Amino acid sequence: MKHFLIRLATPIILVILWQLLADAFGSPRMPRPSAVVASATKLIGSGDLITALATSLGRVFFGFMLACAIAIPLGILMGSARAVERNLDPLVESFRPVAAIAILPLVILWLGTGSMAAIVIVAYAAFFPILINTIAGVKRIDHNLMRAAYTMGVPPATRMWVVLLPAALPAILVGMRIGLGMAWTAIIAAELAVGAKAGGEGGIGQMMFIFYSYSVELNGIVVCMIAVGIVALVLDRILRAALHAAVPWSRL
Amino acid sequence: MMASFGGALAGGSAAPRRWPAWAIYLRTMGLFCLLWYVMSWLTPNKLLLPSPIDVASAMRDRIEDGELIANATVSLTRLLISVSIASLIAIPLGLAMGTSRLFEDLLEWPVELLRPIAGIAWIPLALFMFGIGNGLPIFIMVYTAFFPLLLGTAAGVRNVDRRLIAAAKTMGVPRGTLMRHVIVPAALPSIMTSARLAVAASWTAVVAAELVGAPSGLGYAIEYYRSMLDTPSVMTFIIVIGVLGFLCDTALRSLSAALMPWALSEKKR
Repeated sequence: MKHFLIRLATPIILVILWQLLADAFGSPRMPRPSAVVASATKLIGSGDLITALATSLGRVFFGFMLACAIAIPLGILMGSARAVERNLDPLVESFRPVAAIAILPLVILWLGTGSMAAIVIVAYAAFFPILINTIAGVKRIDHNLMRAAYTMGVPPATRMWVVLLPAALPAILVGMRIGLGMAWTAIIAAELAVGAKAGGEGGIGQMMFIFYSYSVELNGIVVCMIAVGIVALVLDRILRAALHAAVPWSRL
Repeated sequence: MMASFGGALAGGSAAPRRWPAWAIYLRTMGLFCLLWYVMSWLTPNKLLLPSPIDVASAMRDRIEDGELIANATVSLTRLLISVSIASLIAIPLGLAMGTSRLFEDLLEWPVELLRPIAGIAWIPLALFMFGIGNGLPIFIMVYTAFFPLLLGTAAGVRNVDRRLIAAAKTMGVPRGTLMRHVIVPAALPSIMTSARLAVAASWTAVVAAELVGAPSGLGYAIEYYRSMLDTPSVMTFIIVIGVLGFLCDTALRSLSAALMPWALSEKKR
């Protein structure tokens, strides 16, 4: 109980301190909790915040699905066929250190500043964690399971669905969880950078940039930041719950 | 073990190991460049997809006019400064969180509330606080590197074998010595792993921060050459970012191998 009270007290004290310091020393523009709450009520009430979040989440959803659709089959192939892994590994290792945001200028050049570019950036960001974890998951499967299925004459396609995929599922879901976190960060960065260049269309990152550059609404920026944090937390919890549901025996 | 299993799946025979790893690397990348060359040859607009040869000559130009070295130095210096600052704050705090219940209670919730807010989401507010310059990227990178380091250190300390600490206490080792000679070395593998995560995350953040709000650095250079429609140079800087990110990780990996040869059981990848 004592520990819980200390835990609860720290964030509350920090927020009160922020309010007092801003009132005492800050310029009128400086964001403070009371103004942030007012701004949040306004933004939620007008629906702007929800629309922006929905736009960003939609891009993340399609990009993430694209990444899964390519990375999971490729990872299973690379994890189970040594020759494929050895030949493709150089490409993976060469592109993996290149951050998604670094290829943004190229993607803008190819696809413009619309949703398509954002989806590609998200897919690129989520791709590598999913791929690497899928490969590792497939390689770590208990060999006896595969040998048993092989001995009992289970056909290859059934082996894949019934033995390989369930056994590799925990690792794949871990990869998806990491990938989704990276995808959400990447969409913010992409929308911010695009917002810095052109008008663009919607998205939470863009909204932040507009608050910064046109209206200098710092409280609005803080509202967006909090919204970004909450969404990140919720996405992570959803995948964690999926992991629990799919593999109750895993400790995560 | 793994090779034989993979071979069994692929159809009964293990992959022949005639080619050494570096030769396979060269073969794959050579094929990739060939494919790239053909694609660029088929693309009517050279601005969209310059050939590998154009990129190579742009890279030579950028090395000769000093742009590449200058911007890479700026970005790497920022990385070094921010990771040092983040380590100086996060590692002592992490040690405190791992050893003292009070510190854990105090820090846990603020950290869990702030951590989901990506460093990149701080850029607009940081633009207002610091303006365009060195302050913004360094702030974003310190913030990004802070959380993995803090949580990695705290987790490392919590996982130290209790018997080691109990043994040291029984032998009357004072608190400072206990920390320096027992807890820190035992937590070091976890700290180094989190340092690798922190460096990788901050390297991503530096590019984003420079792309939006800094007058120098690799991210800025990418954006500058994009606005000049000089695609070969844009690709040059993308390659440099990838290579430097890879080299930083390799350097940290060999540093951890040198610092703690006993922790080599940690998988290579």
